[in-house]
Amino acid sequence: MSQLNQVLFHENSRVGADLKAWESTIGAQGLSKALADTAAIIPMIEQAGLRGLGGSGFPTFKKWQFVAAQPNEQDKYLICNGNEDEPGTFKDRILLQEAPHQVIEGACVTALACGINRIIFYINPDQTESISSMQTAVAQWGDSEWFNKVERALGKPLEVRVMPSSGHYIGGEETAAIESVEGHFPFPRGKPPFPAESGVHGKPTLINNMETLSNVSHIVRNGAEWFRSLGLGEATGTKIYCLSGDVLYPGAYELPMGTPLSTLINEYGGGMLMDKKLKAVFTGGPSNTILTPKDLDVPLDYENVAARDSSLGTGAMIVISEGTGIVKRVAEYVNFFAHSSCGQCPPCKNGTFYAAQLLTRIDTGRGSRADLHALKNLCNMLPGAGRCHMLDGAMKVLTSSMQHFMHEYEQAVDR
Amino acid sequence: MGSKSISYEQALADYRVEAERPLIEQHDNKEALLSAYHPDYRADTMTTLKVGPNSGDQCHRQVAASIQADARIDEADLAGASVVETDVLVIGGGGAGCAAALVAAVAGARVILATKLRLGDSNTVMAEGGIQASIDKNDTPQMHYDDTLAAGHGYGDRSLVAQMVMDGPDVIRWLIQQGMQFDTDEFGDLLTRRAGGTSANRVCYYRDYTGLEMMRSLREAVRNSDAEVWEYSPVVELMVNEQGHCAGAVISNLKDCSYVQVIAKSVILATGGIGRMHLNDFPTSNHFGATGDGLVLAYRLGAKLRDLDSFQYHPTGLAHPHHLAGTLITEGVRSAGTWLLNGNGERFVDELKPRDVVAAAILKECAEGRGIHTNDGAQGVWLDTPGLELRNPGILKQRFPKLLNLGKKAGIDPHTSPLLIYPTLHYQNGGVAINENGETTVPGLYCVGEASGGIHGKNRIMGNALLEIISFGRRAGAHAAERRSLRGHKRVSIDHLSRLRRELTISNMPMETKGPMLFPVCAKFDDDVDYEGLRRNRRK
Repeated sequence: MSQLNQVLFHENSRVGADLKAWESTIGAQGLSKALADTAAIIPMIEQAGLRGLGGSGFPTFKKWQFVAAQPNEQDKYLICNGNEDEPGTFKDRILLQEAPHQVIEGACVTALACGINRIIFYINPDQTESISSMQTAVAQWGDSEWFNKVERALGKPLEVRVMPSSGHYIGGEETAAIESVEGHFPFPRGKPPFPAESGVHGKPTLINNMETLSNVSHIVRNGAEWFRSLGLGEATGTKIYCLSGDVLYPGAYELPMGTPLSTLINEYGGGMLMDKKLKAVFTGGPSNTILTPKDLDVPLDYENVAARDSSLGTGAMIVISEGTGIVKRVAEYVNFFAHSSCGQCPPCKNGTFYAAQLLTRIDTGRGSRADLHALKNLCNMLPGAGRCHMLDGAMKVLTSSMQHFMHEYEQAVDR
Repeated sequence: MGSKSISYEQALADYRVEAERPLIEQHDNKEALLSAYHPDYRADTMTTLKVGPNSGDQCHRQVAASIQADARIDEADLAGASVVETDVLVIGGGGAGCAAALVAAVAGARVILATKLRLGDSNTVMAEGGIQASIDKNDTPQMHYDDTLAAGHGYGDRSLVAQMVMDGPDVIRWLIQQGMQFDTDEFGDLLTRRAGGTSANRVCYYRDYTGLEMMRSLREAVRNSDAEVWEYSPVVELMVNEQGHCAGAVISNLKDCSYVQVIAKSVILATGGIGRMHLNDFPTSNHFGATGDGLVLAYRLGAKLRDLDSFQYHPTGLAHPHHLAGTLITEGVRSAGTWLLNGNGERFVDELKPRDVVAAAILKECAEGRGIHTNDGAQGVWLDTPGLELRNPGILKQRFPKLLNLGKKAGIDPHTSPLLIYPTLHYQNGGVAINENGETTVPGLYCVGEASGGIHGKNRIMGNALLEIISFGRRAGAHAAERRSLRGHKRVSIDHLSRLRRELTISNMPMETKGPMLFPVCAKFDDDVDYEGLRRNRRK
């Protein structure tokens, strides 16, 4: 059996915003099972080993347990995070446009497991097609019996809505999303309190990525063992890898978790464009340590990528070939972070801006040794100085690019 | 040509000046003649495009090879390249580019005009006949519209043509404001004359170098405006923003061999024609820089092209001596009654038939062994200027000083000796598809002048080229200037090249050639086939 697109991107799942078509294939089977025994859901998710696929890799069941443990008579919130805005990541839009019912069903099962009665699909406003597809799909569910059944099982009135986010990159951060849902500018909050205790309007709030939620109904339908068996090695389930950059066939590929990077690039990506040599891979988007050709064999799962001092992140794989300047790319990414900073923490606000300025100066041939030295200093000073992890991400990509490709920086300032 | 054709020396020795010559062949079956001999109609010169927005369309094979070529640069070439920001970037320093730059600058936009050679190095300066505008009391824009569409075999874009003819009178007024001179009568009214295939006196002119006078005034106006002019700065690639819109260009500074990235709110392509591609090995009347760069750059960005199977071959280009091959001899010489003779001294075609028919008839004579060949491989037929002089003494000196000057450069006296002529690649009828504002199908990218298509359909009448460049140049300049208030681009890159390279690889296209070609093949000395000199700033 082909390892490509087995679950989330399977043709049975990608039926568009058409509830009838969804029900005629695999739709609502997971939800029916969940309704029959809500207490069994969390243990099943634990057994399956589902993790946060938005980038953290945090075990999903743990988050759920925290929220489920909160008193049930109050409102509880689920924010389905589709703020996707990072360069190189484009999986949520496919899930939302082509398989909206898969997401909604997953969210309903999650709500049942944790006693959540307010579900918010929080979507990047630039993805207008995703929003309209989700609105159509939610309306179809509203017209069906399913929401009523969930409501009865919960014993609380259920509210489901689709909400465009503010469009800021930082709005994808958990606590920033909460601020955004409350109607404020998405400033990340300090933790604790954790959202599971006090999130939207002080109520327990669960935040999961669209890809994570999409898996839920399948796990309940097919069982934990099935899900575990999908992964390679120790890893479980599948992962949507967003392959972009200098490969012949870029795109989103759903493959077993733990598929080696070389397989992804060569087998599914059609190899390097024009047979150029691989130079680097920005994994998990631009906020992680860069992988280099010696890391081609790495199985793409959370543990193995972490063992190479990097992180799987969202599953974005931006492949760079010889013929691409690293300084230019890093300048672009740091510039992205500088524009995305919410401005709350001075080190982040000024630090990313200054780093971006220095990088642009170096890249456009106007840099000096002193600029390079200042950049190195920033790399040492800034990490950990922000309330959220954005600043750390920006510095991580800068630091690792300087580790691996210092010669390119030096050439640029020695011109 | 082959062994059968007649040598230049032999034909010259056999030549006699005669006052009367019968026309031996009428070429009544125009279609048969064109399809057998005209390069546009021959199946072997065409191919089907495989990649890009015009996939599946017919296209001349040399043009196809060029627009489906690999790009000259990689992202790494831009490392260390300086960045300049502006509102409007105009690419091309001919009439259309200057008009666009002037109007945009007057509207208050920051303008950079980058040209491959020097400001004014263009085909505009070679336009001899004049510029069409319906200003005569017996003329109307409607008649101008009808004439233009009819000449284009009905292929012209009606709304573009309508707008151009309505612009005509105002274009003349604007040109006069810029300081251009026109021939006038004793009262100071503009003189007009009639062009072939038109129904009224509509061509305004200045002596027999209208284009040169136009370029002189425009060049001065640009120099005196706020527009920055970058000479010796060919564009090697356009750049895109995060939405795939045009966001600027990569310019190669030939003087210090470095790349400069110009980020612009709008880019106006005014790069001119393709004559120096020498389609089917034809000589050309075009200037040194007419290598079709604009077509290549726009196509890569996703702009739709049109009528790429239609070119104009002017029947009378000089064929001998070699160093002047392709030089245009104005249609006025034939209008005045000059005959075309084959190697046997026979008149083989009615010289006043449309350009495509006359060109095809010349090619037929050469193909069937009645042409004349020279030792250096050129071929052609006689342009019987001594016969004209015999029938109208003094006419050459009085009406065709430029022709006599050409004869002087060639070492041939047109009074006594016929000139060897052969069709010359003259004009690109098609080009980048545009709307009334000169906008292409890619937001932020404009195209004006010969590089654009749609106005002339499949054939152009004399005088419409000069009108087109000013009419659309001004409109594009004004519209582009308005975009200066738009938000800046988030991210500017050459990412569209990855898409191009993917498409080329998947379609199994050869990727050895690189485009745009920038300079004619004849200019490539020694082994520097791909202008490595241009890439000297690349990091090794």
